[in-house]
Amino acid sequence: MVLLVLTGGVAGLVGSLTGLGGAVVALPVLVLAFGVPFPEAAGAGLLTVLATSSTTGAAYLRDRLSDLRIGMFLEVATVPGALAGAVATVFLVHARLEDALLIALGAVLLTLIPGTLLRGWRSPSVARPPDRWSRRLGLRGSYVDERLGREVPYVAASTGPALGVAFVAGIVAGMFGIGGGVFKVHALERYLGLPMKVATATSNFMIGVTGAAGAGVLLAAGFVDPIIGAPIALGTAVGAYAGSQVLPRLRNRTVRWVFLPVIAALAVEVILRGLGVG
Amino acid sequence: MTDASAPPGPFAEGGGPEPLAVYTRMAWVLRVGLVLALALLGGALVALVVRSPHQDAGAWVRSDPFAPYFELANLGPGLAAGAPGAFLTLGVLVLIATPVVRVVTGIYYFLGRRERALAAIATVVLVLLIVGLVVFGPWVR
Repeated sequence: MVLLVLTGGVAGLVGSLTGLGGAVVALPVLVLAFGVPFPEAAGAGLLTVLATSSTTGAAYLRDRLSDLRIGMFLEVATVPGALAGAVATVFLVHARLEDALLIALGAVLLTLIPGTLLRGWRSPSVARPPDRWSRRLGLRGSYVDERLGREVPYVAASTGPALGVAFVAGIVAGMFGIGGGVFKVHALERYLGLPMKVATATSNFMIGVTGAAGAGVLLAAGFVDPIIGAPIALGTAVGAYAGSQVLPRLRNRTVRWVFLPVIAALAVEVILRGLGVG
Repeated sequence: MTDASAPPGPFAEGGGPEPLAVYTRMAWVLRVGLVLALALLGGALVALVVRSPHQDAGAWVRSDPFAPYFELANLGPGLAAGAPGAFLTLGVLVLIATPVVRVVTGIYYFLGRRERALAAIATVVLVLLIVGLVVFGPWVR
């Protein structure tokens, strides 16, 4: 049990420093090192997602970086996605296709890495006019950028494609027990045209609700084991908090380059386990 | 980074950023929910270890000490009896319910501003969350 808490602590710390979230680290470790079956690992992953998002989400809200109306608007796509993903996982497990889920999990983890590495390196998105839904719902706002020393206004643009990507992010979250924040940030930054800081904070705001949708299904289906999930969630919350305190003093890109190869190696190991090789 | 300095055009409803009070309220909901959930989970785990100090985690997983308390009818009596499994289950439920309460806070906020479309969207999210727990989970079990 102490080992699970420590694993959660390390996962929360690394997940916070890399921006991938604690579940991305905890999930493969649970499967590979502790031999936890995939469904229970996914259930534990969603509990870590909930613990992490409440920890960091409160801080982002206090700083007024999260856009409440855009976050709640996109939740209408991420929540059905998470429900569909979690239901799909239950059906695939009942069909004895756990190995296929492991291979898919490894592939998804590998997919997340380039997006995380490139975060902040992409050219700024060009401001576009708001579409019909953006005007209808008032999807605009502003935040105070301390580095620029001024208030930066923004307007949400292409809501349709953003809803599509948010739905996919929800499926990934519900199916594999991870936050899917990289996909959500992509939807918010690339399609809605939000500034990176607002996109990251708003993604975190949404992750808790998406995780709750997936966790609700997995809990009712009997795939959430508190004996595994509770120590991991406890450790992750502490680790994520520690990471958020340390992060401002570290070089963000250096941290990513140090830890992302480790996560890539874990992802390959998960794929090999799914293939029956590992 | 986007610098949308161009005029945003006519908007049917308001727009962010919202008043500080709503951010503070939502942050409070998340913080209280998280602290409560972690206290329940941590306390229950400590109680499990204290009651059976030589039992390993694998044995607890196999003995499934929390399973009876997923039935809501058993949860109350389990809590009253001080069963660690019941507190563990309650901790998980509080952890899951925390973002749901945050959605309710959002509905209340948008209704107060008479922004009916956003209040309706948040209500749809709330209904989907409840349907997932009450209908989808038991259906696929």
